[in-house]
Amino acid sequence: MPPHPLRVAVVCSSNQNRSMEAHNILSKRGFDVRSFGTGTHVKLPGPAPDKPNIYDFKTTYEQMYNDLVRKDKELYTQNGILHMLDRNKRIKSRPERFQSCRDQFDLVITCEERVYDQVLEDLNSREQESFQPVHVINVDIQDNHEEATLGAFLICELCQCIQHTDDMENEMDELLQEFEEKSHRPFLHSVCFY
Amino acid sequence: MMAGEQASGASSQIHSNEEDKAFDMTTSERVVDLLNQAALISTEEKLIVLKQVQELVINKDPSLLDNFLDEIIAFQTDKSIEVRKFVIGFIEEACKRDNELLLRLIANLNMLMRDESVNVVKKAILTLTQLYKVALQWLVRTKSVTDMQEACWDMVTQMKGDVLALLDSDNDGVRTHAIKFTESLIITLSPRTPDSDTPKKQEGDISLDKIPKDHTYIRYDTLCEEGKTALDQLLKFMVHPAISSINLTTALGSLATLARQRPMFMSEVVQAYEMLHANLPPTLAKSQVSSVRKNLKLHLVAVLKHPSSVDFHVQISTLLQDLGMSPSEITRCTPVAVQPRKRLHHEPYVEGKRIKMEAVEDDEDKEEPAPVVTPKPSSSIGTQSAIDLTAEFLLPLLTSDNVANLVLISMVYLPEVMPASFQATYTPVESAGTDAQIKHLARLMATQMTAAGLGPGLEQCKARDEEVKEEGAAGESSSKDPLIIRKLSAVSLGQAISVVGASAAYKSPIIEEAPQIKKLPEPILPSTQLKAPGASGRKKVFKLADVVQPFSEVQIEKLANMAIKRILYSEKAIAQTGMSHVRVKLLARLVTQFEGTKKNDLLQFVLEDMRSRSELAFSLLYHEYNEYLSQEPSGCLDSYEHCLFTLLSGLQERPEQRDGLFTKIVLEAPIITDSALEVIQRYCEDESRVYLGMSTLKELIFKRPSRQYQYLNVLLNLTSHEKEKVRSTALSFIKRMYEKEHLKDCIEKFALTYMQFLVHPNPPSLLFGAGEDTEVAAPWTEETVRQCLYLYLSLLPLNHRLVHELAAVYTEAIADIKRSVLRVIEQPIRGMGMNSPDLLLLVENCPKGAETLVTRCLHILTDKVPPSPELVERVRDLYHKRVPDVRFLIPVINGLEKNEVIQALPKLIKLNPIVVKEVFNRLLGTQHSEGSSSMSPLTPGELLIALHNIDSSKCDMKSIIKATNLCFGEKNVYTSEVLAVVMQQLMEQTPLPILLMRTVIQSLTMYPRLAGFVMNILARLILKQVWKYPKVWEGFVKCCQRTKPQSYNVLLQLPPPQLASVFERCPEMREPLLQHVHSFTPHQQAHIPTSIMTVLEATNRKPEPEPQPEIQHPEVMEEREVPLPKHISVHAPVQQAEPPAPKPIVFTEPMPPQEKHHHHHQVPSRREVAEVAEPMEQEETAHVPEEDTSEAPPQQMDVSEEAPQSSPVAEKADESMDESTAGPADEAEEPVEEPEEEHAETGESSAD
Repeated sequence: MPPHPLRVAVVCSSNQNRSMEAHNILSKRGFDVRSFGTGTHVKLPGPAPDKPNIYDFKTTYEQMYNDLVRKDKELYTQNGILHMLDRNKRIKSRPERFQSCRDQFDLVITCEERVYDQVLEDLNSREQESFQPVHVINVDIQDNHEEATLGAFLICELCQCIQHTDDMENEMDELLQEFEEKSHRPFLHSVCFY
Repeated sequence: MMAGEQASGASSQIHSNEEDKAFDMTTSERVVDLLNQAALISTEEKLIVLKQVQELVINKDPSLLDNFLDEIIAFQTDKSIEVRKFVIGFIEEACKRDNELLLRLIANLNMLMRDESVNVVKKAILTLTQLYKVALQWLVRTKSVTDMQEACWDMVTQMKGDVLALLDSDNDGVRTHAIKFTESLIITLSPRTPDSDTPKKQEGDISLDKIPKDHTYIRYDTLCEEGKTALDQLLKFMVHPAISSINLTTALGSLATLARQRPMFMSEVVQAYEMLHANLPPTLAKSQVSSVRKNLKLHLVAVLKHPSSVDFHVQISTLLQDLGMSPSEITRCTPVAVQPRKRLHHEPYVEGKRIKMEAVEDDEDKEEPAPVVTPKPSSSIGTQSAIDLTAEFLLPLLTSDNVANLVLISMVYLPEVMPASFQATYTPVESAGTDAQIKHLARLMATQMTAAGLGPGLEQCKARDEEVKEEGAAGESSSKDPLIIRKLSAVSLGQAISVVGASAAYKSPIIEEAPQIKKLPEPILPSTQLKAPGASGRKKVFKLADVVQPFSEVQIEKLANMAIKRILYSEKAIAQTGMSHVRVKLLARLVTQFEGTKKNDLLQFVLEDMRSRSELAFSLLYHEYNEYLSQEPSGCLDSYEHCLFTLLSGLQERPEQRDGLFTKIVLEAPIITDSALEVIQRYCEDESRVYLGMSTLKELIFKRPSRQYQYLNVLLNLTSHEKEKVRSTALSFIKRMYEKEHLKDCIEKFALTYMQFLVHPNPPSLLFGAGEDTEVAAPWTEETVRQCLYLYLSLLPLNHRLVHELAAVYTEAIADIKRSVLRVIEQPIRGMGMNSPDLLLLVENCPKGAETLVTRCLHILTDKVPPSPELVERVRDLYHKRVPDVRFLIPVINGLEKNEVIQALPKLIKLNPIVVKEVFNRLLGTQHSEGSSSMSPLTPGELLIALHNIDSSKCDMKSIIKATNLCFGEKNVYTSEVLAVVMQQLMEQTPLPILLMRTVIQSLTMYPRLAGFVMNILARLILKQVWKYPKVWEGFVKCCQRTKPQSYNVLLQLPPPQLASVFERCPEMREPLLQHVHSFTPHQQAHIPTSIMTVLEATNRKPEPEPQPEIQHPEVMEEREVPLPKHISVHAPVQQAEPPAPKPIVFTEPMPPQEKHHHHHQVPSRREVAEVAEPMEQEETAHVPEEDTSEAPPQQMDVSEEAPQSSPVAEKADESMDESTAGPADEAEEPVEEPEEEHAETGESSAD
């Protein structure tokens, strides 16, 4: 077991549903976890598929919550958005954008391939200094509440297994293979350097 | 912060300085405090504390860095991985802060790089990545490189090599770090060019172009060469067929970085990407293939964006298309500025090649001043064009027939299951049969063939290379790449086929070279098929017995040995396949089952390179142990013991390795046998490894409780080891263990047992090593005594209670041992301090026979510091109630009351002169450097007075005189002022002290300027009827004799009978005194009473007694022996003819009235003298400064002459007095000193 707790980042597009669900569970299990989005804006479902609610990353969950309550309380209660925002604001005040965070992690878990690509692109475009490695793993999760919960458990299990390895870097490959077999989904895995 | 403080305190500079000092103190103290804490707390807290320390010594006050370096680095052996990692981080920061520290710290980093934890090793690699640059920059900056720096750089270079070798490590993470190190190394060791895409933060980093070619130690071309080698290694690493996906990802990223930061390597990078894309490792799983492809795409795009990639756009675009990027996307990623050139790419491409060729020549021409033109290994161009040439060659051959045949042939080699890599990379061929597609196919095939070392292109290039080589003066580097490719050909060949899935077919013919592929998904095809597919049809009836015969025993043995040896020496090949653990297990199993030489062979093999073969060693050890367990209860440990013993002694006999293997084996061995313990002991006795050895032993003691005491005993035995380093290390380990409750008793018992040896008449043979069993009748020596005491004495300060045992042993020991004991206890007793309750108890109880021990303790305690009241109290009690030996009082004398000291004085001054001298030193404060003189209960004056007042019944006069002489010896303490006060007080006493006049004369001898004051004393003594004290009177006369002519006026004040008595003693005085009176004016003469004149003029009287001749003779002789400057008595024999004055009338009150009238004349009056006495004294004091300046030189001369033998001078004065007293009147009770004794004493004191 690595002597210090893993520094984990969970990243999805808007830092609302999938990453926050995982953030919630991981922090309850005692991980040193942060969550992020990679999109340019935070998007939440709106009254119609082509009319999403768009916020910037400076808006707090609280503000979004109030905004949606004001717009259509019933709709957003019914589709679970308000419930989600309520949970989010109890975890942290506002969504964070991965590209603007300069903190270092041991493990970055992304929730969809597009996000994975963006994370890799961002990490590779940074100037390397310490050569401290960071592993990036993609776990595909569909962006809905149920999948987010299932995905969060999978991420949590994965993190626990990684945390319990004697030598994370040496055992990661094998571990991921096992997980792939067990969960029947492929994981993209790469390493970048700070 | 310092600056801030200074600025704020600018108004008062002194104030601010003080603050600064206080500030310094606190930082340093805080560091000490934190470090002390760190030694005792849990890992997490320790890290926090250590980080604070780092902040303090590196950022807050770097001046402390040097001070605490060792203490912080000491944590490198901490059990916690995180702490060790911290130490590495600290080394990095410290070396960055102060490059000079590299000299001291690089070896530590080197050691940590061999740590057993991979996490520590990884951290060390990261740090070396940084420090390599730091070290290089530092050396380049230095004009004249010292030997130390050279050694440091050599070590850095060696470590660099070690990290490069870690590319072959078993551990994935370590390899990843090694790749990043290689990347950074290549960048550092290649020149930055204008088209380099350097990250801002690395702008200042050193690179090859900044290294002067004329540097005294750093060789430009060596570094350049090393850089190229590193690149080769990286490229070679990339094509390893069993490379892990993470390593591959890392390497892909590194290549992209290289291409952007060092565009000169663009060609190699693009080519490596092409190769990789065509030959993805077959070991990759499906998702890994996608990950790698994704990465490849990402990095290719990054490379594409770099302007220098323009020459390679065709290749890159083809690759990107294969990776699924649409042409429009590719165009979007291409830099706009270079796009127009793309169409014309063929022309500049060729031109570019020519330029590169020239560049190669430039590079080889080492006179070139600056390497602005990018050097490129010509070989890359060779390969580049080899692919082109082969592709051109293939293109016309790819007819439909040929292609169909190729497909048919390769069908045979297809695996049953589609490999993941194929599945992932396969894209349906959309434009089959078009020219573009055929070209692409030709190129793909050409890449494979070139990689496999086949094809006409390669041959042509080879030929061309040779030409180039011949042309170039030094073509050493030019053909490196093709060479490597040829070396790799076998591997690549296997790989090449793997694209279509039949990689394993090539395994057998090239088993030596080709590493086996992990998790091979395909079945293995028999090798014969490949070699002779045509012969496969022939069959015949086969009987085993026809072809084989049983082997003889010898043959079997031989074959078995050979088989094992082969497994043994196939180390490298198997390691590459990742199957080392199987080999290790196999070997261990095999060898434990066989008897004989195999075991030894294997052990020898392991010992040849213990570091990399430790796994084998452990495996063997455990198998042996298992063997033993399986045979329980009758099992015998011999074989296991032999194995363990051989391994340990092999390690012990090897030179220093610093790899901790010895420790590891000891700690992980299931049982430590006796012989193994002996090896451990030998290891501990090796001065260079004593610390490591004992740490290991300590671990054993703590972690193997079942035999803990046996291990502890080994360590305890080492505490009396003859080698100082071994001993002191063992002692420090034991001291730490002594804090553990469960070990305490055992340690204590051991220490006491050893100490109790001291009561035996001879030292036990134990002390001379266990080997010598003979009863040693040797006498105790200082060394053997010490051996018995080392442990005890180091425990003493930790447990004061033990001191009583020492006292018990001491009383029983023989004198020699006592002496040794007294010598060695100083340090520990001082360590205990005078407040130790046990020490106080010892003083209080003072066992019989331990008096000297207690006295010694007292002396040690009070040597530097004044005694505490508590100690004084105990000593006083001891002295008064139990042992009335005055010597106890000496150490605490300054803690006693004044009257106690005075009371003890008679006893004290009777002691040995050396001791008396010490007593006086303590009392006068002449012993200690500071402070203690003020502590003395007696002032110097009081002491001297007390000596005069010693009751002669309690002490003989001789001792008192010697004691006063000691006082006079301290000229700095007994100044003229002090002596004047003493004389004044003594004179006022009634009765007058016997030694009064002796002291007066001696003071006068020391300070002739006291003459005036002495005259007053003499005059006042007349008032006190000094003649009633025979001794004092005698001195009085002598004094007058010495101080003539000043004393004439005093003499004239004597009543006539006493004056007559004076002349009786010194007849020679009369005539000069008479002359003196005659020189008076008649008026003055009139004041001289006639009775006095009668005495003065008594020339005609006959001397009554005539014993003089007998007495005179010795006096004369003695005076010749001891000539004294002031002695005028040489004339005595002449003048002595004159008869002494008769005893006339006694004048009690001689002419007071006349006096008043004539007091302006020289005629002195008693009253006037008495009055004058006070002012004179004052004058004396007032004059001191003046006189000091005027008399300074002679005085100093005096001091310097007297210094070595101060007492003899005083004693000479003394002698002279004694002699003269001996002359006229030698009464029996006189404190006459025999000259012989005097000399003996002098001799003794000078020996002191």
